[in-house]
Amino acid sequence: MSAVPSLERLNTASSGNALELRGVSRLFGALAALSDVTLSVRPGERRAVLGSNGAGKTTLFNCVTGDFSPSSGVIRFFGEDVTTFPPHERIRRGLRRTYQISSLFAGLTVVDNVYLACRGVSRNRFSLRRPRRDDTLQHAAESLVDAVHLTAVKDRLVGELAYGQQRQLEIALALSGAPRFILFDEPAAGLSPTERQDLVQILTSLPAHIGYIIIEHDMDVALRVVESVTMMHNGRIFKEGRPGEIESDPEVQELYLGGGHG
Amino acid sequence: MSDFIGRRPIWSLLILIAIALLAFLIFAVWTPWMELTFGRKRVFLSALFNGITLGGLYFLVASGFTLIFGLMRNVNLAHGSLYLFGGYVGYSIGNLTGSWFAALIAAFVIVALAGMLMQVLLFRWMEGQDLRQTLVTIGLSIIVADLLLWSYGGDTFQVTTPDWLSGPIELPFVVALRSNGEAVMMMYPLVRIAILIGAIILGIAMWLVLNRTRIGMLVRAGVDDRDMLSATGVRVQLVFIMVFAFGAGLAGLAGVVGGTFQSLQPGEDTKILLSSLVVVIVGGMGSIPGAAMGALIVGLAEQFGSVYMPTYAVMLTFVIMVVVLAIRPQGLAAVRR
Amino acid sequence: MALAEPRLAIATPRPREGLSEVIARQGTAFWIVAALLLVMPLLANPFWLVQILAYAMILGMIALSLMFLAGYGGIVSLIQMTVAAFAAYLVAIFGDSAITQISLKWPWWTAVPVAILLATVFGTLGGALSVRTEGIYTIMITLAIGSAFYYLTLQNYTIFNGFSGFNGVLPPAFLGIDWGSTVPFYYLTLGCAALAYAVVVYVSRAPFGLALQGTRDNPRRMAALGFDVVAHRIAAYAFAAVIAAFAGVLLVWYQRQVSPGTGGVGPVVDMLIIAVVGGLSRPIGPFIGALVYVLLRTFSLDLLDWVGFEGKRYQLLIGLGFLVIVLFSPDGLIGIWQRLRDRYRKSRETQAAQMRVGGGSP
Repeated sequence: MSAVPSLERLNTASSGNALELRGVSRLFGALAALSDVTLSVRPGERRAVLGSNGAGKTTLFNCVTGDFSPSSGVIRFFGEDVTTFPPHERIRRGLRRTYQISSLFAGLTVVDNVYLACRGVSRNRFSLRRPRRDDTLQHAAESLVDAVHLTAVKDRLVGELAYGQQRQLEIALALSGAPRFILFDEPAAGLSPTERQDLVQILTSLPAHIGYIIIEHDMDVALRVVESVTMMHNGRIFKEGRPGEIESDPEVQELYLGGGHG
Repeated sequence: MSDFIGRRPIWSLLILIAIALLAFLIFAVWTPWMELTFGRKRVFLSALFNGITLGGLYFLVASGFTLIFGLMRNVNLAHGSLYLFGGYVGYSIGNLTGSWFAALIAAFVIVALAGMLMQVLLFRWMEGQDLRQTLVTIGLSIIVADLLLWSYGGDTFQVTTPDWLSGPIELPFVVALRSNGEAVMMMYPLVRIAILIGAIILGIAMWLVLNRTRIGMLVRAGVDDRDMLSATGVRVQLVFIMVFAFGAGLAGLAGVVGGTFQSLQPGEDTKILLSSLVVVIVGGMGSIPGAAMGALIVGLAEQFGSVYMPTYAVMLTFVIMVVVLAIRPQGLAAVRR
Repeated sequence: MALAEPRLAIATPRPREGLSEVIARQGTAFWIVAALLLVMPLLANPFWLVQILAYAMILGMIALSLMFLAGYGGIVSLIQMTVAAFAAYLVAIFGDSAITQISLKWPWWTAVPVAILLATVFGTLGGALSVRTEGIYTIMITLAIGSAFYYLTLQNYTIFNGFSGFNGVLPPAFLGIDWGSTVPFYYLTLGCAALAYAVVVYVSRAPFGLALQGTRDNPRRMAALGFDVVAHRIAAYAFAAVIAAFAGVLLVWYQRQVSPGTGGVGPVVDMLIIAVVGGLSRPIGPFIGALVYVLLRTFSLDLLDWVGFEGKRYQLLIGLGFLVIVLFSPDGLIGIWQRLRDRYRKSRETQAAQMRVGGGSP
């Protein structure tokens, strides 16, 4: 982690990157939510995508997970062209994401939510047999619940949880199975300062081989958990750099930090 | 148009060839060889015209159905009952006044009122609950069917065609040649032609209203995105009530039309409902051009089916539906979202 | 698509438990009903046993397959009655009937499995056709597929024998028992219905059932967890089709005949009515709905005559009853029952609390 990752995009071999986007555009009617986005992230790299509302950040995530298919361009995941894959195929290859608006199964308990997530990326998804008590997935689910500090409420229905706890559960779902790369969509939104501390701690203690992209408005959170930053504006990437460089860049200050925090 | 030719040259060519072939089949004097393959030209032409006019009737019913679904996500399974109700109302009013037009207008107004009541009394209280609304329409269709059976009995009725519309007219298509070389022209019931013209005018009018007026814009916007409609500050409920009334009224009007060139009897409600279902599934939910396209396809399939493969005539329409579903689940005219 | 207004079933996965645990978990009501059903042949006459109870259990099984899809999967499929009718036809075609020129006269132990297998394939294919479209659209498409089957049976004479269908389809005799006679047929139906019920309850808590409920609540999220939502829904159709197919076999043995009307639009819609009236939230609902439906059909004539109404109006009665249930109790009779029970419990609790509190005052 000591070496600062090089941010040249095109000279890295396609097979060497965890995630690689080439010329990805997405149009909604006449509106280009993404235009010609080219981006590559190495395995284990942690990056923030910043930009004002409407800059195309969530659309970028939706294209990567396959919720939308891009209007043009190529998306590679660990060297494999996944542009036309349905979402579940990408997830099974180790991609994960969390949602900006909590998107959980409110009628199930905390541990069942995670159990479902573990099932999704295991074989026997169609199993008609009920799990045994000593089921390995059940164990995996419980330890994930523990990893996001929710053991105390593991048997509560998700609908009854506090907002911050639901956000933490979102992260647990993203960690299920064997994730290789995670997309976090504003994980700190709506969290209290202490919960943010908790979040930073969870993110920084993730295993080193798991890379991620995080969309975050809270610069204190975002810049503490990443090693590189991509700035977006109007559906385009206009700057990439290390957190320190971005923070001090005058253009960025004017466009984003100035507007957002001024 | 030229845009389409540019984008889809092969399809355009195929469509042109099909149109040319059809024109040839309609206007040419058939050779013995053609009569051998396609049967008598008279049969072919009447299947064609019956199919198109039947499509006109289906369009009248299905356009209301598809509009109501598109705007309110309400699968109105009582739509066939509204049709039959309108037919019976038209029959009674027609007998009372002796005027076909009075019957037509009365059926439209009365059934539109019934639709308005349905929206005001029932559906507006369960907005967004698709399944519950559909279940309510099922309940209503059972009740209406039994009430109509109660008051009109199981007999078959036909709405009397007005004098000035009855009888056949000569169409400028040669059906056959007499031995002396004189051409026999196609004769066709005037009332069917009138109904077809009526349906076309109505379709164009609906299209114009939807695309050229403020209220039409609102309705279309609502079909695309219902949340947006309420965000614009219009009185959504009023728009809903109007659309429901109009769609129901169309079904009632179609009941009189269907009662004129077909007949009215218990069970007709289910038949017409199923046809509308197939029409909108083939054409695409919520789309008026789709309803027109679907109605034409289903009408033609039914008529040609009954002429050329009588045993499986009804099956043919369903086969078409299944094929459309498999290839283009959203329907022919619907925009992929 | 908001499809979830009737409070839908939520079952959590439970670790596998021993049979004794399962038995211990059931309430007293369960045991009373089970015991009653078992000793029913001692209490009821043949008419009640077969025409009412066995028939209700058969319809209940078909409605159960609809409930499984609607309650756990959020898929309102009207195709289930058609699957049952298809199985019924296949039993008549492969097995024996009075239409000797068509029926192949296979023994029942080949005819029935083949019938169930083919009907399941049919149900799965129908599901695969309609599954790509969402929500309320499914009702329309399955209704259209169902009526296509109806017209096919009506117009095809070489396989389905057209309008008249098949009569003289008799239940088999094996193990020295004539399963067509009253008491054996009752127990046969009871056994199948109980098995179907138990399997649905079990599967609803297995990973498959759990995932199905996930696809109902939030399909997009399920895809983002690695689940193939479409494949899951098709598998659910297949599972439901097996139940419907079994019921179809029983149905043809019960009626001793099958005709296009068996899978007509009326019965197709009736299945939805049964499931909704009973309640879509729990697997027992369809059976309750079916019992009410059969009782109404059988006795409404007398009932209406008795209150001085024209007996022919029983459709009106069914329609009105259905409308009332849909308008006032979206989770059906089960919902009413649960609300009554909750209210009773609450009032008893408050009573008890008052007793405790007010014990000292005069």
